[in-house]
Amino acid sequence: MSSLSAYWRNRTRREQMLTGYAFVAPIVLYTLVTGFIPVVSSLYLSFTNYNMMTPARWIGLQNYVQVLFHDSLFWRAMLNTAQYSLEVLPLNVLFSLCLALLVNQKLRGITIFRTLYYLPVVTSSIAVSMIWLWLYNKNSGLINLFLGLFGLGPVDWLGTPGLALHSLVLMRVWKGIGWNMVIYLAGLQGIPKYLYEAADIDGASGWKKFSQVTWPSLRPVTYYIVVMGLISTFQTFAEIYAMTNGGPLGSTTTVAYLIYQRAFGAFDMGNASAVSFILFVVIFGLSLVNVKYFQPQD
Amino acid sequence: MFRRMFNLERAQSRLATPGGGLRMALIILAVAACLSAVTPSAWAASRTTVTFWMAGNDQKFMDTVNTQLLPAFEKKYPKIDLQITFVPWETLSVKLATAFAGGMAPDVFMHGAAATAGFAATGRVEPLDSLIAKMPDARDFGSTLEQGNYYGKHYMIPVFGAGRLLMYRADEFKEAGLNPDEPPATWEEFRNAAIKLAIRRGNQIVREGIDLPTSGIDAQQIFACFLWQAGGSFFNRDYTRVTFNDAHGVEALQFLANLIQKDKVADTSINLGQGNVPPIATNQVAMLFAVPGDVAQVKTYAPGIYKEIRVAPPLKNKEQWTFYSFSGMFMSKTSKHKEDAWKVMEFFSSPEALEKINASMGTLPPRRSLAKAPAFASDPNIRAFVESMQYARGNPNIAQWVQIRDILSRYLEQALYGRMTPKAALDQAAKEADALLSNR
Repeated sequence: MSSLSAYWRNRTRREQMLTGYAFVAPIVLYTLVTGFIPVVSSLYLSFTNYNMMTPARWIGLQNYVQVLFHDSLFWRAMLNTAQYSLEVLPLNVLFSLCLALLVNQKLRGITIFRTLYYLPVVTSSIAVSMIWLWLYNKNSGLINLFLGLFGLGPVDWLGTPGLALHSLVLMRVWKGIGWNMVIYLAGLQGIPKYLYEAADIDGASGWKKFSQVTWPSLRPVTYYIVVMGLISTFQTFAEIYAMTNGGPLGSTTTVAYLIYQRAFGAFDMGNASAVSFILFVVIFGLSLVNVKYFQPQD
Repeated sequence: MFRRMFNLERAQSRLATPGGGLRMALIILAVAACLSAVTPSAWAASRTTVTFWMAGNDQKFMDTVNTQLLPAFEKKYPKIDLQITFVPWETLSVKLATAFAGGMAPDVFMHGAAATAGFAATGRVEPLDSLIAKMPDARDFGSTLEQGNYYGKHYMIPVFGAGRLLMYRADEFKEAGLNPDEPPATWEEFRNAAIKLAIRRGNQIVREGIDLPTSGIDAQQIFACFLWQAGGSFFNRDYTRVTFNDAHGVEALQFLANLIQKDKVADTSINLGQGNVPPIATNQVAMLFAVPGDVAQVKTYAPGIYKEIRVAPPLKNKEQWTFYSFSGMFMSKTSKHKEDAWKVMEFFSSPEALEKINASMGTLPPRRSLAKAPAFASDPNIRAFVESMQYARGNPNIAQWVQIRDILSRYLEQALYGRMTPKAALDQAAKEADALLSNR
């Protein structure tokens, strides 16, 4: 403390310190205004009956009790979200790892392939959704056109309650693998060569090298991909909003979409805020479980 | 000289000293703040600013307002600085709610009549009765003014309307052995036409006899038409409970569900057409309950097909009704320039303005005197919409309507997909809606 006051008494250092604060002030202010304050105020709103029309009235835990114990739509959305996440994550890991192994080859023009696989990542979710809406179109979509060549279909990909969520999973996997491929690629290139040389000396087969060297070395990367994937899939919103509006029969209503419906459809901000915080606790809990049980120890 | 005037060298050397950057940043901020504080006030003294949020971003509509109506308004009222913002329908409610909550509501805004009750019940909008009384030609609006009536007070000046009428193709009617000049008039005739028009391959429907929306607002509006035609209504007389689950409602929903589940002349898939070309022009559906915008879409994007397009008067079962709804202008209670806001509303509801606006979008003018204007009378399909306004009914004006509509839509979907019987679905919807009504 005394060193700080000594620091403060020195004019030059004081000015340096203030200049430093002046430079970080914009981003600190930005984070406070667009992040911290909204989060705290929505925590407050979750204990009120705020509807954007009349002033908020404190109702205690009523919203949480309603959502957790009397709200079948919330639990349906929770199940949908969990199912979506559980389908997307393993497929994403599998395909992005395969792609990373493929584009890790030293071939002429391999960067072109890397760029191509990465393209869906830099395309906006809404634009991707609009393209897939047409691909999935029952009557004139490319996918059904292709199936038609073999006398199959047409399938109503987004209009069939048992199928719509899987269709969205497929699109999400396609959109997400590019990103994870790059991370796996970085991981692959970071594996020390001597490990493979040692495996060669021991006469290990290709599969053995993968299962004993590559896969264990990639564990921290896989861990990162799973945690980040879990967080982002639990917050899935854009493609639902653009493609299915949560339907048919609520089969693609995720928790994030339910929050939107409640907040900006019914203007029930109290209820929507409560659902948001429950979602936060769920994601936080799942991330903790991940850290505790799956984080690589080294 | 420039250098000496602004003492640039000294400024540069100051920047280089510790703390100089901080001082300079503060000076720049202070100068910017002074400038921004001075400039608008000088303008504001001479003109009052009225903000107006218009609903929809149809290109022709925006062009008409920007190139014709706004210049005419500015010429007529040079003292009013009219700031128009076009807000897409999808985000209108959200933006208005946020603006009201943040104390930044526009002076005048447009919304559908269904929003009247919500805004009026919470004191967000100004009753307009005393102003309407002073209008020399208010009677020209006829019953459309009533769409903005909430407990006896009027809050909305209607601007454009839409109704639901059966749209079909004359060439396909002939192919199916139907007379295109005698469209279906009853439920049974309508069902038979749909059966004849549907084309199936195996279990798949290649062309739907009728395109039935199964979810959201569209499904609710189609159900409303059939509910009223069956003699039913949404609420009892004093709006204390819902009545859409009585025998009339069940009859209406059973009829619609049968078209999908039993007759298999409609399916649950969403028809997109191709690009901007609607599905009726791409042979995906033979009939649909269209709004005037659907007619305009065929006219614009499939002009070759348009000569085959016909629009029929509403169906009749026990009664003859169909769904019409008007959108109009509201005045915010918080407006600081109510007198000027009313001038804006008067200007944009004049016969000249309404003719231009409605002709640009192919929507229905709320003034009776415009029914014979060339823009609406020359096209037989738009004329059919104007003529059928005598059978018009709108959604109920009560504050909980939007929530009740969403509950109802959810259960209509269950019945149309065959997951619940129409009676069970409507009973469950009624139970949830009544709970909402008793909480008010």
